[in-house]
Amino acid sequence: MTDSPPEKPLPRASAESLPYWEGAKQHRLLMQHCRACGQFWFPPSARCHHCLSTDFTWDEVSGEGRIYSFVVYHRLYHPGFERDLPYVVAIVELREGPRLLTNIVGVHWKDMRCDLPVKAVFDDDPRGVTIPKFAA
Amino acid sequence: MIVPDPVLRNRCAIVGAGNSRLGQVPGVSSLDLLAEAIGNALDDAGLQLRDIDGLITRGPDDAYCHHQQMGERLGLNARFSTSLDNGGASQILSVALAVMAINAGLASTVVCGYGRNAWSRTHSSAAARVKNQTRPDDQHNQEFGPEYGYFGAVAAHAFGAQRHMHEFGTTREDFAAIATAFRDHATRNPAAQMQKPLSREDYFNAREIVSPFGLYDCSLRSDGAGAVIVTSADRARDLKSRPVLIRGFGSHNNLTGWFSGDNMIRTAAIQSGDAAYRMAGIAPAEVDTVQLYDCFTYMVLVQLEDYGFCKKGEGGAFVRSGALRLGGRLPANTSGGQLSEAHVEGMLQIVEGARQLRREYPKERQVADAEIALISGHGGNQVCHSTLILQRA
Repeated sequence: MTDSPPEKPLPRASAESLPYWEGAKQHRLLMQHCRACGQFWFPPSARCHHCLSTDFTWDEVSGEGRIYSFVVYHRLYHPGFERDLPYVVAIVELREGPRLLTNIVGVHWKDMRCDLPVKAVFDDDPRGVTIPKFAA
Repeated sequence: MIVPDPVLRNRCAIVGAGNSRLGQVPGVSSLDLLAEAIGNALDDAGLQLRDIDGLITRGPDDAYCHHQQMGERLGLNARFSTSLDNGGASQILSVALAVMAINAGLASTVVCGYGRNAWSRTHSSAAARVKNQTRPDDQHNQEFGPEYGYFGAVAAHAFGAQRHMHEFGTTREDFAAIATAFRDHATRNPAAQMQKPLSREDYFNAREIVSPFGLYDCSLRSDGAGAVIVTSADRARDLKSRPVLIRGFGSHNNLTGWFSGDNMIRTAAIQSGDAAYRMAGIAPAEVDTVQLYDCFTYMVLVQLEDYGFCKKGEGGAFVRSGALRLGGRLPANTSGGQLSEAHVEGMLQIVEGARQLRREYPKERQVADAEIALISGHGGNQVCHSTLILQRA
């Protein structure tokens, strides 16, 4: 018997973020959209980050954006990422405004740069969760 | 516009400063490290615990009501005491709050201190070394982070460094100038954790951690504590050591978060510094030495810009000029800082600022004719900032 390699942590959804993760499962990037002030916000919470309104809908965003900044992990912090080293973690700014933390796939870490245009892709984890990521 | 009231300018003084053993101090709790530093600060001031009626502290972030735990260990009841929660910005804030409490008549002599056994916490096992975490798991994000492999303060600050490099052409050559200058200072400080000189080549040959940061862009994991004693300028005159006047302070927190707007390249040091300069009634050109919160090399560079020692985007050229070295235009982190002395969340920056202004160091460690020191604190999810301006009495 061989030991299975350590797994990556899965996100633990909160009551507020559940629709985001349900949307991801259907390969749709959903965000809270305020009916009072018209803005999107992220991460999910019960009230609009801009005007505190509770009147919002979960709407699909374009998934298009640009890399605001990125880092490359060369050091291991969690055994689940050992096979990924070096790996890129980026902050992507969506066309709609919100910024989110993510991984960039399909770009060699040495070719990464700020302001690179990217688009959402969906990584279906066999454990039943879909993780939104971005590709150039 | 609301401006800080200069009525508090030079009304209080730091009358004692102390630190515990620094670096690897296994088997000593964070509370005992702080008790050691407080004892040294009291000796420095020529005071006894019975002279103390205020206590403002912070310890590891998992300690509830830290000042009560500390007071119990010191056998101290206090007229005014609390624990702060602004991360690395808390320590300067503790001095600011002490000044306010003293001027409000709520206390007369206040101990401000911070201690943490961070080296021991991150080296207790092989797993702890990998994780390199000083806080328990449940205090970290459970989504929008760990699933992407996002862990640790190194990456958070590296995002800022990367964006700054992109917008202003800053390079790792600039970061190297900071790391090597502070190491040179540490080699003159027998208490510093790092004693071996660091060359530019050593900096570039070191392993990458989370790029753009390599090993020597990152501050140390340290067991250690620091403490200072604050009292009124009037009372300070009768004490053993030469007092150091608290000329001004400021605070600003970009609570919208590190990832929001320009916060990682135009930090809260801009507004915090402005408030402190106004209270102190001075301009950046009047500062003789800075002790900046150097959790990472980049944070030194961006703060030099944000405090107005050079223009935005010119931090790289400024540090490469040698300005930060002892003997340079603006000697910085003259004890070695958190990059090379010990990382005690900004508390040792205050201790060093006070000591420089007392001019008690041997010549090779002393900022010549130091009159005014600017000290910074940064932390609290990277967006809380505080500033202290001290003046030789």
